[in-house]
Amino acid sequence: MRTRLLAVVVVAALALAGCTSDSSTTTAVSGPLCDELPKGDEPGNPTALASEPVDQALQWITVLTTFEGALRASELVPELEGKKAITVLAPSDDAFMAKFSQDNLDELMIKDKDTLRTLLRAHIVDRSLSLADLRDADSVTTLDGTTVKVGEADKMARIGDEATTVCADYRIANGRVHVINHVLGNLPTTAGQGDSGH
Amino acid sequence: MRTVRLTGTDVLIKTGSPHLEVPLNHRRSTVIAISALLAATFAPVVTSTSAFAAPLPAFAAAEPNQVTDLTVTQADGFATVAWTPVPGVTDYQIERTAVDASNAPTGTPTVVGVWRPNRQVNNEEPTFADAGFNPGSRFQWRVRARIGTAEQPYSSPVFDTTKAPWGDPAVAGQNLRTQWETTQAAQYTSDVNEYAYTAEVDRLSERVRVVEIGRTVQNRPINMFVIGYPTPPATPAAVAATSPLAVNCNVHGNEPGDREACLIMARQLAFSNDARTLGLLKNTTVLIVPTINGDGRAANTRGNVTGQDLNRDYSLIRQPETAAYVRMLRDYRPVAGYDGHEYGNSQAGDLPMLPPRHQNVAQQIFDESLDMIENHMYVEGAKDGWWACPYGCANGSGVGLSEETILRNTLGLKNTVNSLLELRSSGGATRPDEGNTANNRRRKTFSALWTFNQFMDYHHNQLSDIKTARGEAIEFQAGNNGRIVFRGSRIVPLHPAPHPGEAGPREDLPTPDMILDNAPCAYKLTEAQYNGARTDGPNDVGATVAERIAAHGWKVVKVADGYVVPLAQPERGLIPLLLDEQGEEEWVSGERVYPTLTGRHNGPLTISGFACLSGATVNGPVNLRPGATLVATNTTISGPVNAANAAGVFFGDSVVRGPLQVANTNGPVTVIGTNVSGPVNLVNNTNGAAPYFAGNSVSGPLNCAGNSTAPTNLEVRNVVNGPRAGQCATL
Repeated sequence: MRTRLLAVVVVAALALAGCTSDSSTTTAVSGPLCDELPKGDEPGNPTALASEPVDQALQWITVLTTFEGALRASELVPELEGKKAITVLAPSDDAFMAKFSQDNLDELMIKDKDTLRTLLRAHIVDRSLSLADLRDADSVTTLDGTTVKVGEADKMARIGDEATTVCADYRIANGRVHVINHVLGNLPTTAGQGDSGH
Repeated sequence: MRTVRLTGTDVLIKTGSPHLEVPLNHRRSTVIAISALLAATFAPVVTSTSAFAAPLPAFAAAEPNQVTDLTVTQADGFATVAWTPVPGVTDYQIERTAVDASNAPTGTPTVVGVWRPNRQVNNEEPTFADAGFNPGSRFQWRVRARIGTAEQPYSSPVFDTTKAPWGDPAVAGQNLRTQWETTQAAQYTSDVNEYAYTAEVDRLSERVRVVEIGRTVQNRPINMFVIGYPTPPATPAAVAATSPLAVNCNVHGNEPGDREACLIMARQLAFSNDARTLGLLKNTTVLIVPTINGDGRAANTRGNVTGQDLNRDYSLIRQPETAAYVRMLRDYRPVAGYDGHEYGNSQAGDLPMLPPRHQNVAQQIFDESLDMIENHMYVEGAKDGWWACPYGCANGSGVGLSEETILRNTLGLKNTVNSLLELRSSGGATRPDEGNTANNRRRKTFSALWTFNQFMDYHHNQLSDIKTARGEAIEFQAGNNGRIVFRGSRIVPLHPAPHPGEAGPREDLPTPDMILDNAPCAYKLTEAQYNGARTDGPNDVGATVAERIAAHGWKVVKVADGYVVPLAQPERGLIPLLLDEQGEEEWVSGERVYPTLTGRHNGPLTISGFACLSGATVNGPVNLRPGATLVATNTTISGPVNAANAAGVFFGDSVVRGPLQVANTNGPVTVIGTNVSGPVNLVNNTNGAAPYFAGNSVSGPLNCAGNSTAPTNLEVRNVVNGPRAGQCATL
C-alpha cells in the first residue's frame, strides 16, 4: 500500500535558494524544492522553459508527472494555451500521492474526466501571478470559480488552508507555474485506500 | 507537528512526520534529514563550508571512534562505500560532497545515507550503495559513526570520479542513449524514443532480436529484446531450449524506474564485450520486455487505458497486454523471472522482493525463489551496499498476498522461479526523501539495474538448481498431487538476524472456503463456457475461454458434450483457479470431473469415453478405444498400454510396466514424471500442439515419428535406457 505522510518544510532564511543567478537572462525560481529540480544549464532548467507552452514546460519539472499527465488527460491544454495569461498552481507528485489512492487517480484520469477537469481548474488562475503577487494578494479566483485565500508564508506563498509554494516563479510562454505541496479543490482524500501494492 | 529551531533564525523544520518533503540543501548550511530518525532522534547535519576544506592527512592517527579504511568502488550509477566497523556504535552517516578535478569542493556536503545494522545480513563489513547523482560526476566521501545521536569524528575523505553512463561515446551501439539519460533523468523515455532506441539496438547488434509480442489496447507495440551470443536462437522453441530468463520492466505505467534500467541493460548486453557478459549470453537467452503497459506509461496511469491494473490480470488475461505476456511465456518458457515495480512505503529497504507464495505453487519453486532472494540478493546486496529485504518490510501487511492474478504468483504457478522487485520511490529509513527528483529517479533505476544484473548472475550460477526445481515442480503438478488452494499464501519466514524489527508480509493463510481437499481429475466445460462470447475485456469484448486457455498453453480434450481440461499437466496449480466455481476470480464454473478408478483393477482394462485413474493399480493391459480419453495420475499399470486413435492421453507421476504405445491421437498427449518399463512409441499424433514427454524414465527405446508437431520435453530431461529415435532423438 502506498502511504505517505508529508511534512511541510519551511525554510525561513532561504531567500531564492540555489536557483538564482546574477545574469539577467536567466529565470529565477525560488523555494526549498528548487535546488532538487533541473537548474543551471541542466536540461529543463527554468530559463529553458520560459518560452515553452504550458504542456511542454510541465514535462521538464520532474516532480509534476502526475499533474502533467492529468492535464493531458483532461484535454484542457488547448484552452489554457489560448489564454492570454495563466497561473498554474501545480501540486507535486508527493502531494497527489498524499491525496488520492492509486485507484482513485486512475479513475479520475481515465474515466471521470469531468471531475478531473474541475479538479485541474481549481489549480489555474487566468492571469499571470508571480510569487510576489501571490504574497501580496488576499485571494485569487481559480478557473472552477472558487475563491482561494492566498498570502505570505515566510518567503513562500500560502495557497488556501494547507498548501504553500515549494518552488515558485517558473515562467512559461503565457504565465507562471508554481509548484505547491498540497492538492487544492474539494475532492475527498482517498490516499491509503484500496489495493495498491505490487 | 513540532517546530524545531535549529540554528538561530536560519532554519525552521517542522517534524513529527516520517517524511520531509525535500532535503534542505542550500548555500549557507546543509541540512539533510534522514526521515527514519523521526522526531526522537532527529539529528540534522549542519556543516559550514569551511569545516571540510582541510582533509585529514593520510598518516594521521585515528581519533577515538573514527571510521577508518574507507573505500569507494564505482559501479554503474552507484558507488559502494565501505569501511571498517567501529565497535559499539549505533549507526553511520555517509557524507558526499561534489568536488572539482583538484578535489576542491564545488557543492555542499550532504549526508546521503545512514547505515544501520538491519541494512545487511552480515555486519562485519558494512557497505553502503550511494546513488542519486549524475553519473560521471566527481565527489568526496566521508563516513562517521554515531553513538546514539552523538556524532563521532569523520573518516579521512576519499575522492573519486563516478562511472560515466555505460558505453563508449565513440563506439557505434555503445553510444546510444535513452531520453532519460540525455535529459539527465529530467524526463522518462517516451514511447517514441523507446521504439527508436530499441530499433537501433536491434539494428546494430547481432546479439539482439527485437520481437513484437503483442499490441496494447491503443495499438502500441509491446516489444521484447531477445538477446543471445553470438546471435539469439532463431525460434521461440530454440530460445526455450536455452532455459532463458525474463525481466518484465513496466507493468504499472506510473512506476517507470525499472524500465529505464531495462533499456540501459539491453544496451550493455548488446554491446559489452567483457567476459562476464559474453559468458552469460553464451549459455542462455535474456528476454526483456521494457514496456508491457505502453498506454499506461504514456498516460502516467497505473492501469492500462481501460483502467485495468494489469498486475491483477495475468491469470485472467482479459487485456491484450497480459495475454501477450502469457503467450510469450508459453512459447519462450523462461525458467526464471523478475517483475519490476516501484513502492511508496517509506519503511521499506532499498529493494523489497518477494517469491511466489500462492500455496498452489509447487514447493520447489517457492523454495528456489526464496533462495534466489535470500541467498543471492541479500548476500550480494551486503557486498555492494544495497538493502534487499522482504516485500512489506514494515507497514506492509496488506501487500504481497496470494492473488494468482499477480505476475509473481502467475509465474510461480507456471513453474517459473521468480521474484517481485520494488524500487523504493519515497524516502526511507536510511535514505533522504527527495521526492520525484532526478536524483531519486537515478537511485531507483540504478538499483534496478543492479538487481537485474544480479538476477542474471544468479541464473548463470544456479541454473542447474533452477532446472531441477522446475523439473520437479512440473512433475509434481502433472501428478495432480495435493489439495487445491484457491487463495492463500505460504509463510515467508523472516530472515534471521540482523534484521531486527523487520516485518515480512502477513501470513495470509488460506481460509477453509479457499481449500478443496479432494481435487478433481479434470474440469469439463460446456460449449457455451468454452466458446461463448465474453464481455470482460476492453470495450466489453473479451477473448473466449478457449482462446485464453490456448494462450496459457493448457491441453484440452474435445469430448462429445463439451471440453475437458485434465489437471494432469504442468499448470495444474493454475487451472482450478480459473475453472472452478470455488475460485476467487474464475472465468467459468466448470464441472468437476472426479476419477473413475482409484483402487485396484485386475485383468484387462478397455477404455471407451473418458477414464480417469487416480492412485489406481491395474494388473493387466490397458487399451483405449478410438475416441477414448485416459488420464492417469499416481497410477501403476502392469501391462502394456495401447492407445490408437484416442481423443487424449495424459500420464502424470505414474508407472507403466510394459510398452507404451500412443498413436494417431486426435488430441493432446502428455506423459510427465512417469516410469515406463518397456519401449515407448509416440507416432502419428496429428492433432494439437506438441506432445509433452518430460521428466520420464524409460527402460527401453524411445521412438517418436510422424507427430504433426515434434514432442517437447519442456526442458525437463528424460532418462532413457535405450536409443532415442526420430522426433524424440534429443529428448
